[in-house]
Amino acid sequence: MSGPHETPFATLRGQLHEAAAAFADGPDALEGLLLGMVDDVDRAVREPLEIFPVCHHSPSSALAMARRLREKRPKVVYLELCEDMAPLLTELRNCRLPVAVQAFAGDIDGFPAEWAPLSVVAPITEASAEYQAIAYALDTPGVELVLVDRSSDHVFQWDGRYGERSPQAGADAEEAPGAAAGPPKTEAGLHGEAVGLEIGDLRPRFAELEEHLLRHGKVRHWSEWWHQYVEVPLGDSDHATYRQVMFLIGSLFRRLAPGDGDRVRVDEDRERYMWTRMREHLASSGADPADCLYVCGAFHAASRVAEFGVAGSGSFAVPPRTATTWQHGLIPSSHTAIEAQFGLASGSVSIAATQWAKNLKRTRVQPYRLAGQEGEKKPKATKAVAPAVAAVEAAGSDRLSGFLRQPPVLDGLDEAELLSWSVEIVRAARRNGYAASTADAIAVFETSILLAGVRDRAKPTPYDFQDAAVTCIEKDVVPGRRDVGRLVEIMMGGDRTGRVGYEALPPLARDVHDRLAPLELKLHQRGVRRALLDLASRPDLYACSDVLWILRRLMPPGAARPIMGERRLGERSVQESWDLSLGTHQRALIELGYEGVSIEQVLEQRLRRAAYDAQATTATVLATVEDSALYLRGRRLTDELGDRALHVLAAERSVDGAPEVLRRVRGLLAYYRTGEPGPPPWIGAFVKTGYAHYCTLLPAAFTDEDATVGQVAAMLGFLFSMESLALSLGCNRAQLELAVAQSRPTTPEKRALLWAAQVQLGTLSRTELRERCGELLDDPLVLPAYPRYLSGFVHALEPVPGLADVVVEAVSNAFGRLPDPVLLPWLPTLISTLRSSAAELAPLLIREAGRVFPGRLAELDAWVPPWREAPAADTRPGGRGAGGAALLFAHPGTLDAVAELLGCDGSWTTPAVGSASGALPARHPDAAAAWEALLAVQPKGSTAPAR
Amino acid sequence: MSDLLRAPAETKYAEELDWLESIDDSPKPFSWRLSPKMVRLFVLGSERADGLDREVSQKWFGDRSFVERSIVTLASDRGLLLIGDPGTGKSWLAELLSAAISRNSTLVVQGTAGTTEDHIKYSWNVSMVIAKGQSRESMIPSPIMTAMEAGAIGRFEELTRSTSDVQDALISILSEKYISVPELQSGGEAGGDNIVFAKPGFSVIATANSRDRGVNDLSSALKRRFNFVRIPVMTNKKSEAEIVRFRTEELLRRHAIDLDVPPTLLDVLLQSFADLRASAAAAGSDDEKLESALSTAEQIGVLEDAVLHSNFFGESALTARTLASSLVGSLARRDPEDLTIFNKYLHGVVEPRSKQEGGSWPEFLDGGRDAIATLS
Repeated sequence: MSGPHETPFATLRGQLHEAAAAFADGPDALEGLLLGMVDDVDRAVREPLEIFPVCHHSPSSALAMARRLREKRPKVVYLELCEDMAPLLTELRNCRLPVAVQAFAGDIDGFPAEWAPLSVVAPITEASAEYQAIAYALDTPGVELVLVDRSSDHVFQWDGRYGERSPQAGADAEEAPGAAAGPPKTEAGLHGEAVGLEIGDLRPRFAELEEHLLRHGKVRHWSEWWHQYVEVPLGDSDHATYRQVMFLIGSLFRRLAPGDGDRVRVDEDRERYMWTRMREHLASSGADPADCLYVCGAFHAASRVAEFGVAGSGSFAVPPRTATTWQHGLIPSSHTAIEAQFGLASGSVSIAATQWAKNLKRTRVQPYRLAGQEGEKKPKATKAVAPAVAAVEAAGSDRLSGFLRQPPVLDGLDEAELLSWSVEIVRAARRNGYAASTADAIAVFETSILLAGVRDRAKPTPYDFQDAAVTCIEKDVVPGRRDVGRLVEIMMGGDRTGRVGYEALPPLARDVHDRLAPLELKLHQRGVRRALLDLASRPDLYACSDVLWILRRLMPPGAARPIMGERRLGERSVQESWDLSLGTHQRALIELGYEGVSIEQVLEQRLRRAAYDAQATTATVLATVEDSALYLRGRRLTDELGDRALHVLAAERSVDGAPEVLRRVRGLLAYYRTGEPGPPPWIGAFVKTGYAHYCTLLPAAFTDEDATVGQVAAMLGFLFSMESLALSLGCNRAQLELAVAQSRPTTPEKRALLWAAQVQLGTLSRTELRERCGELLDDPLVLPAYPRYLSGFVHALEPVPGLADVVVEAVSNAFGRLPDPVLLPWLPTLISTLRSSAAELAPLLIREAGRVFPGRLAELDAWVPPWREAPAADTRPGGRGAGGAALLFAHPGTLDAVAELLGCDGSWTTPAVGSASGALPARHPDAAAAWEALLAVQPKGSTAPAR
Repeated sequence: MSDLLRAPAETKYAEELDWLESIDDSPKPFSWRLSPKMVRLFVLGSERADGLDREVSQKWFGDRSFVERSIVTLASDRGLLLIGDPGTGKSWLAELLSAAISRNSTLVVQGTAGTTEDHIKYSWNVSMVIAKGQSRESMIPSPIMTAMEAGAIGRFEELTRSTSDVQDALISILSEKYISVPELQSGGEAGGDNIVFAKPGFSVIATANSRDRGVNDLSSALKRRFNFVRIPVMTNKKSEAEIVRFRTEELLRRHAIDLDVPPTLLDVLLQSFADLRASAAAAGSDDEKLESALSTAEQIGVLEDAVLHSNFFGESALTARTLASSLVGSLARRDPEDLTIFNKYLHGVVEPRSKQEGGSWPEFLDGGRDAIATLS
């Protein structure tokens, strides 16, 4: 402590000493605290490098800053903002505020992997002291702006709790009742998951103190307290008073409620960092500290670290950054987002903005604005420059005693303003469906004044006015209608959402806007735009359509939403219509810009990352292949990803993704067969590998309890449906036959599946299958398990769709013969199974049932099920005998040629008389006779009908 | 203490009100006995920072801004309508306000389906009318009319329970601030006695139950003449505990019962209400939630029941078992539905908790089970 009593604060010290003695019976902690605060102020005031303490979203800070800058015209401005954000600040002029400066790291190196992506935002509003400093420094020749706070990298390095902490907004919202009220708004999420940084965070660090202040101040939340007890009294005070009061408040919070140890440690490290950086800069540039201004939060002005001051010790070593690469950009922000992020009361930032505008008008101080700043209209050239504030007295003179003793300065009642508010709110309420009238305007006016009176205020604050409006106007709560409190917020300036201008956008975002220009929509504006693309008449819009589909894949839902039109493998729409809200999702687009220079590049990177992920499965890699084929035309990436899929498949030991793999491979094969000149080599290799792979895994899957019947069915589906391609590429069917023969299923479902597979392979005839089903129904011991067999059969329709008639028969038999105690409990299971896991198979089953069962009620009496009608006609295993070969005997030429080609020398044997194959033509001779006549007419060797 | 079963607020706190009036030097609207700030102080209690010689206890618990808005409304031209769920303290706030402002909280009209216009305006003493004819002497003024004549606060409880035509009688009272009595002669220039004018300071505090708002919803003409203050169900545990403790102490004093309410049991009560509220909030239909509004007043009712039961039939000590049976007994109103909910609550929530936390919960669980068994 520097306690020499010759300082200007000697009188104040004396008074505080007496006060401490009076309230706390002698010298103790209270005295230490009170005098310590004066010491802090004294120390900060004496510092040769002028410290300018600020508080966030405080219009009086901004006003004092504007005045001070005009007066002092410093040559160097040091600002408490991450030093790596400096290059971006000049881009602010291309934006409409509020926007946030963002540092973003997608690929991290040196932090735990689960923290990625890291993002830091520092929102900047026009009504802030920091904006004044930035605008002054950037637009005044010869002035240097130096950001001195730790870099974005250090933010995460120092905050070890980042991984486990809850979002700050959520934690603070509970403390601020105003902020917690109301439904979450979309604007509130503009900053996404980013960590928020604020210049001049000034708020009690422990809840009890804040609660105490609010209670005694008779206010509802912190913003209101600040407004009433600091903002208004500070009003138009001169620079010295402003500074000393802010130092005092900073010191009070620091001494009384430093908060938890981690936070204090980080704060102190930041102070060391900032002072070290400033001293380095002073040394290297040779600037005179008297020509410099250091803008920081009042909390940091009351610092007691050894490095404090130009003459502080220089022992702090700036820790190195990690190897993480940081990207920087500007993202749009909004008042609501700022309130949500920093736990401020709803509407407080808007009210601060209104207050700022009003202060400017009243005091006629000319604020600094970056040249070319987008947004508000240009301020009219005012003749009078700021009224000269009384010449600054010696900076060290005691202004605190006077300030602390004077009664609260009350703003005079501004009747005209209150009247206009009252009229305005009634009009707004009427527009929003409330039955409000002029009488309500009068009541609101009167109630506001009365409320302010009850709350010891000479003039109603916006918060009093809000209460009065709610009391007098809100009589019904209608869901979906804006409540009166919200209407007041909107009226008081409302939420303002910033916009990042085209020039300040990253190349990717600019590229997207350029490529979508043919749509002729104002996509930079917020809100939804409808785009209609008639691709048939304007083929040039195909390029736009491509961009939109990629945006849909990359951006959050809602940014680009197709209303009409689809993009699937092998399909293109003739017309498309889209709901686009790129303006609303500007942040997402800008963050895409950190990943690459064009959306194609970003998509390629993402697909590649997904495909080469250690957790990638064949199904996920195939999904990337499909995306690549859909969105990126070139075959290069698609083929590369296809090779990767092949690689992953070969290494895979589970069959979990089998249904998905089957679906995707089928889709891709169909796509390449129809649309492309020919399937790429990887897909052939994939089918070949897959055939061998699934053959190998099949016996294990049949016995594995974890493999579901759906997965096994999908494996069989792959094997059977890709069989022809696989065999043509050199696979051997014996492998499959062996695999099926080795399979020993343990559950009824899989056993049924195996039987179906055997039918498909020809090792089991349909008749035998029917008999087995019949035996199951006859055996009372197995009967309860029959439904599970059926479930297996239903799944078997996937690999063996030809079995539909047998399945219909089996199901019909179940209904006909199962006893009720077995049938009834099983019915819900059947329905839910069909709906969930066999949705695509159900139509097949229904079609078959429709064919088998009579269509009219009258026919039902005479109807005999086909399986009862035709007793086993074909007793031999299907496909083995010479059934249906009569035609071949008549025209042996083709087969002879094939046999010769294959080097097979056999001879024709006569078919057995009365074989099964003859039964059908015998019963229905017409078709056969017609064929015979036709063939007799045809010249030998010709296969085409004579038409 | 008076020998009344329940003294009105102005009697109960007469001494405090006198003292407040004696130190009140702020301007008072109309004929108010206290200034708005003092009214607020009376209702919400004093703090050290107020610098008063004696402590003023807090009498109504809830957001400060509700009280401020209510006071300010009474000082303005409009009536005050307090809306909220049953048991949120609307009537208590109305009573406190009228006691503080006009020292009379008994000018009350109770709105029911049977309330007629006479109850709001005036009626006649039939025998006197026969004897002396219609005059001011033979007229029976309603509480509202009395309030008008005295420049005091009139109260209208459960406004939405009365029918629309009765409600509409209030419209002219609130806008013109007089009641005309057409049966009496107009008295020429002097004004006569056929019109009863309200004196300055007259206003009306009405209460309405947000659950019954559909019964006889207010006309928009009447809505316009009232300022609405919506009082939510208390969900802040800390303040709720304070209210329950405060009201229980009062109750014990009134019955002159010497019984200790262990803080752990108070926690059990608060927690069980919080649980039941959460389940009611999650319920999909009315059958899945208790019929009770689960307000703070219900909580006090449960505790009162338990305390009286233990005092007169128990071992003069409040136990968790008694508390549970009071809870079930007071809140289970519909036979299958409410009992089912309690059964589910006891087995789904209380049972696991009694295994985990122990304390009073196992006993509470047993008591609840017994009570359900008895009722079903």
